[in-house]
Amino acid sequence: MADYLLIQALNGLVIGIIYAVIAAGLTVIFSILKIVNFAHGEVYMMGGYFAYFAIALAGVPPLPAVLVAMVLSFMLSVLVERTLLTPLYSPTTERKGDYGILVTFGISIFLRALALIIYGPYPLRPPSFWPGVAVAGGLVMAWDRVFAGGAGIAMLLALVWFMNRTPWGEALNAVSQSRESAAIVGINDQRFYMLAFGLGGALAGGSGALVGPIYSLSPSMGLLPDTQAFAIVILGGMGSVGGSILAGLLIGVSESMFVALFPDPSRSLTYAQAFSLLILMVVLLVRPTGLFGRAHVAME
Amino acid sequence: MTAKMAVSTRRGLLAGAGAAASLPLLGRSALAADPISIGWVGPLSPPGGYAEGTNMKNAAEIAAAEVNAQGGILNRPVEITYADTRGMPAEGRTAAERLVQQNKVVAVFGEFHSPVALAGMEVYHKYGIPFMACDVWSDQITAKGYPEVFRNAPAVSLIDVTIGQWIAAAGFKNVAIIAEKNDVGLAARTLVAQELTKANIAFTAVDADPNLTDFTAQILRFKSTTPPFDFFLSIYSEAGAYPMIRQAHDLGFAPTANCGIYNSGGEAVDPTFWENVGEAGKYLVTENVGLPKAAWNDKTKAFVAKYREKHNADPSGAVMESYDGAWLLFDAIKTAGNTDAKAIIAALEKTNYVGARGKYSFSTSHEPAWHYHQFLEAPLTLLQYHEVKQGQSDAPILWPKQFATVPYIYKKPGT
Amino acid sequence: MSPWSKTAGLVLAALALVFPLLVNAYWLSVGVLAMFYAIVTASWALLAGYAGQFSFGHVAFVSLGAYTSGLLVMTFGVPIPIGMAAGVLICGIVGSGIGFICLRMRGPYLALFTVAFSEVLRIVIVSENEVTGGSGGLEVTPLFHERTDMPFYYLGLGLLAASLAIMMVLVTSRWGLFFRAIRENEEAAATAGVKVVRFRILAFAISSSFAGLAGGFYGHYIGILTPDIGSVDQMGLVVAMAVIGGAESIVAATIGALGLEFLIEALRSYGQWRLVLFGALLLLTMRFARNGLLALAWQQIAHGRPWRRVRAADAR
Repeated sequence: MADYLLIQALNGLVIGIIYAVIAAGLTVIFSILKIVNFAHGEVYMMGGYFAYFAIALAGVPPLPAVLVAMVLSFMLSVLVERTLLTPLYSPTTERKGDYGILVTFGISIFLRALALIIYGPYPLRPPSFWPGVAVAGGLVMAWDRVFAGGAGIAMLLALVWFMNRTPWGEALNAVSQSRESAAIVGINDQRFYMLAFGLGGALAGGSGALVGPIYSLSPSMGLLPDTQAFAIVILGGMGSVGGSILAGLLIGVSESMFVALFPDPSRSLTYAQAFSLLILMVVLLVRPTGLFGRAHVAME
Repeated sequence: MTAKMAVSTRRGLLAGAGAAASLPLLGRSALAADPISIGWVGPLSPPGGYAEGTNMKNAAEIAAAEVNAQGGILNRPVEITYADTRGMPAEGRTAAERLVQQNKVVAVFGEFHSPVALAGMEVYHKYGIPFMACDVWSDQITAKGYPEVFRNAPAVSLIDVTIGQWIAAAGFKNVAIIAEKNDVGLAARTLVAQELTKANIAFTAVDADPNLTDFTAQILRFKSTTPPFDFFLSIYSEAGAYPMIRQAHDLGFAPTANCGIYNSGGEAVDPTFWENVGEAGKYLVTENVGLPKAAWNDKTKAFVAKYREKHNADPSGAVMESYDGAWLLFDAIKTAGNTDAKAIIAALEKTNYVGARGKYSFSTSHEPAWHYHQFLEAPLTLLQYHEVKQGQSDAPILWPKQFATVPYIYKKPGT
Repeated sequence: MSPWSKTAGLVLAALALVFPLLVNAYWLSVGVLAMFYAIVTASWALLAGYAGQFSFGHVAFVSLGAYTSGLLVMTFGVPIPIGMAAGVLICGIVGSGIGFICLRMRGPYLALFTVAFSEVLRIVIVSENEVTGGSGGLEVTPLFHERTDMPFYYLGLGLLAASLAIMMVLVTSRWGLFFRAIRENEEAAATAGVKVVRFRILAFAISSSFAGLAGGFYGHYIGILTPDIGSVDQMGLVVAMAVIGGAESIVAATIGALGLEFLIEALRSYGQWRLVLFGALLLLTMRFARNGLLALAWQQIAHGRPWRRVRAADAR
C-alpha cells in the first residue's frame, strides 16, 4: 500500500510539473498583458505537433525537437500578438478586458479547427525520449515521464532565473508591476508585450512537446490542460510565477490521489477531469484573487 | 446532344459544354443519363470520431470509382454525396434532410455514432429512404423496426457475447474491465458482465470518461489488488485507447505472463495503432469485424490491395462495412431495376450479395426486436498480435474455433 | 427608430413568415435550427453585450433546459409544454444562483468560472448515464409528429419573436440603462444609485431562462439529446454568431445567428474548413469592426456614405 501511494504521488508530481510549466506560461502572459489567454491550450497543442514534425520531417532528435517546438511556439505567439493583440495597448480601444477575452477565445477556435485540417484526424505519437521503464524497488515509471518531469523542472528553473537574474527578465517584472511606471523609466512597452506573449507560448509549446510521447497528439488535446492551467493560475494567485508552480504541483498530486483513493472507481475516473474544474470554481468562490496572490490585479 | 447544344441561352450552352467536357470520364452509355444520387453520412470533424469516419469515407470513394468504371448502374453513373455529421445528432438530422431534399438521394449509408444514426433515421423513415447503417453497434438501431433501416455491422449483442465466451474458454478467472462511458462502451460492459457471471468468472468493471488519456492511477489500483487480476479488458474506442494500452504495458500490469490484455472498439486495427503503442501492442487481443484472411474471397483481396495502395494501411472492419454498404446499395438498385425506395428495400430484404465481408442476408424477424434487418452472420473474429507492427490480417486468429488459425485459444507472453 | 430600420424590420419579418413557402424541407429544417441559435445568441448578447457579463457557460443552460424537459417528459410523463416551462424555470433559478455566486468576479474571472461550470455540468451528464443516458443520448418525444417541419418552424419563429420582444422592452426600459451602466463602470453605477447586485443577478437569470427555453425547443425537435450541446465548441459557435453580427445589439446578434446558421449549411461541402472560416471571420470582426459586421454594413446602406466619412461625422 505504501508503494502504491508513493508511486501515485510521484506520478501526480510529474503531471503537476507539466501543469506548472503550462500555467507559468499563462501567468507570464497575464502579468504583463493583463489578459487571460484562452488560446493557451492550443499553443500547447501546436507545440506538440511542432516537435513531432521536427522529428518526422527534419530528422531532429527528440530532445532538441523540444527546443525547436519552443522556438516555433514563440514565433507563432509573437505573430498572434502582433496581428491581433495590439488594440490592447491602444488608448482608443474601449473595454480592453472584453476584447482580450473574446479575441483569445476566437484564436483558440481558429487554431483548433486549423490543426484538424493540417495535422489530420489520426492521433500521432513522436518517438520516446528514452524508451523503456524505470524500476526502483516496487516503483515503476516510464522513462518518458521521468524525462518529462526533469525537463519541466529545467524549464521552470530557467524561467525563474530569467525573470530574476537577467536585464530582460527584470524589465519584464517592472512592466508587470505597472505599465505607466515602466513607460516613465523609458522601457519600450510593445517589445515587452511581444516578449511576454512569446515566452508564455514557448512554455506552453515546450510542455506540449514533452507530453507527446506520453499521451499522443490530437487537435483537441489542448482543451483540458487549458482549464487545468486556469485552475492553477488562479489557485496560485493571478500573476505570481512561484505561486503557479506550487499550485501546479498541488493539483497534479491531489488529482492523482483523488483517482487513487476515491472509493467508487467508476466515478473517480469519470470525474477525474471535473476535479481541477471544481477546484477552480471553489477557489474563485472563496478567494477570487487566489491563495498565494498579491492584491487584486485590476482589469483595465 | 445536338438539340441541347442548340439552346440559345447562355445557361443551356454552358450545360451542354459541361456535359461534353465530362464525356471522356464516363462510359458511352452513361453519357446522357442523370447520375444516381446516393448519400454517405459519418463524422469528418470533431467532436465526432472523425479518424475512423475519414477511413470509412475513403472506402466509399473506392466503391464509387469502381462502379463508375464499370459504367455505373442501370446505365447511369453513381454520384455519392458525403455529409459530415460531426458526431452530433442535430447535424445528423440536417444532413439527412439535406441529402434527401437537396441532393435527391435514393438511398443513404454510413455513420459511426449510434445517437447520430438514430436522429438521422427519423428523417429517412419519414421519407421512406433506405438507410444502410454501417458501423453503429447499438441494438436500438434495428430494434426500432423501421422498414427503411438495415445494418451490415454486428450489433453490440453479437460482439460482446463472443468476447465473454472467449474469456471463459481461455480460462481467465479474475477480469479487470475499463469501459468508456458511451452507448457502445456501456452496453458492452453490461453484456460481457452477463457472460462472465454466467461462467462464474470474477470481474471488476470501471467506467471512464471517453476523453480521458491518463489511466495510470487506475491501472496501479488494479495492479495492487489482491487476488491479482489475470486479464485486463479495455473497452475503449476514443482517443484514450492508445495511452491506456501503453500505460498498462509500461506499468507492468498487462500484457505479462500473469495477465492478458484485450482492447475492444476497433482502435487496435487502425492504421496508427503501432506508431502509437509500439512494444505495448504485442500479445494484445482484439476483435475484427471483417472476414478472417482464410475466408477472404476475391472481392476482399481486391479491396484490401486497392486500399493498401491508396492509403498505405490495412482497412479495418468498419472500413469494409462502409465499402460493402455502398456495394449492397448498388446491387439492390441493380436488382430492383429502378431507384424506387420500396423496390430497393425489397431487393435488400432478399439480397444474397457477396461482398468483401462475405455473403449478406438480412433477417426479417422481429423476435428479438434487434434482429429486424440485421446482418446476423456479420463476421467477427478475435485475433492476437504476436509481433510488433504485425498487420491485422496477418495476426493469428484465436476465436471462434472454426476460423482459428492456431491450435491454442490464448498465447501467454513469453511462451 | 429611423424609417430605414422600420422598413428593414418589416421586410425581415415578412420574409420570415413566408420562408417555409419558398423553400424545400431541408432548408426549412435549417430554418428551425436557425431559430434555436437565434434565441441562444440573442440572450447571450443580452448578458454579455448589454450587461457586460462574459459568460462562456451560456450553452450549459441550453443543455440544462433541454435535459430538464427531456427527463421530466420521458421519466414522469409530464406534458411537453409543462416540461419546457419547467426547464425555463430551472434555468432561471440556477442562472440567478450562478449570477449571485459570480457577483464578486468580473471580466476573465467570470468567464473562467462559467466555462468551468459548463464543463462540470457536461461531465455530470456524461457520467450519470443511468439517469441522463450519457454520451449514448437521451431519446426525447418530439413536440409534433407531422411529416413536415412547418409547425416547428412557426413555433420557433413565435418563440424567437416573443423572446426578442421581451428583451427589447427590457433593454429600452430603465433596466436596460442600468445594465449598460454596470457594464461601463460598476462603481460609478453603484454610486449613481443603481442596485448593482440585483441587476447583475437579473441579467443572469433572464438570459439563462431564454437559453433554457431554446434548449427545450431543440430537444423536442431533434428527438435525441447528447451532452455535446453544452460543449465549449458550441459556445464558440454562439460567440462567433453574436460577435460577427454585433454583440452589443440584440437585433444584430440575432441576424448574425440566422445568417451564420444558413452560411454553415450553404458551405457544408467545405466540411472542416467551415470552422476555420468562422474562426477567422470572428477574429477579423473583433480586430477591425468590433461592433459587428451588421453595424458596418448598416452604415453603408442606411446612410449611403463611405465608412470613413461616417466615422469622421460621428467624431464631431
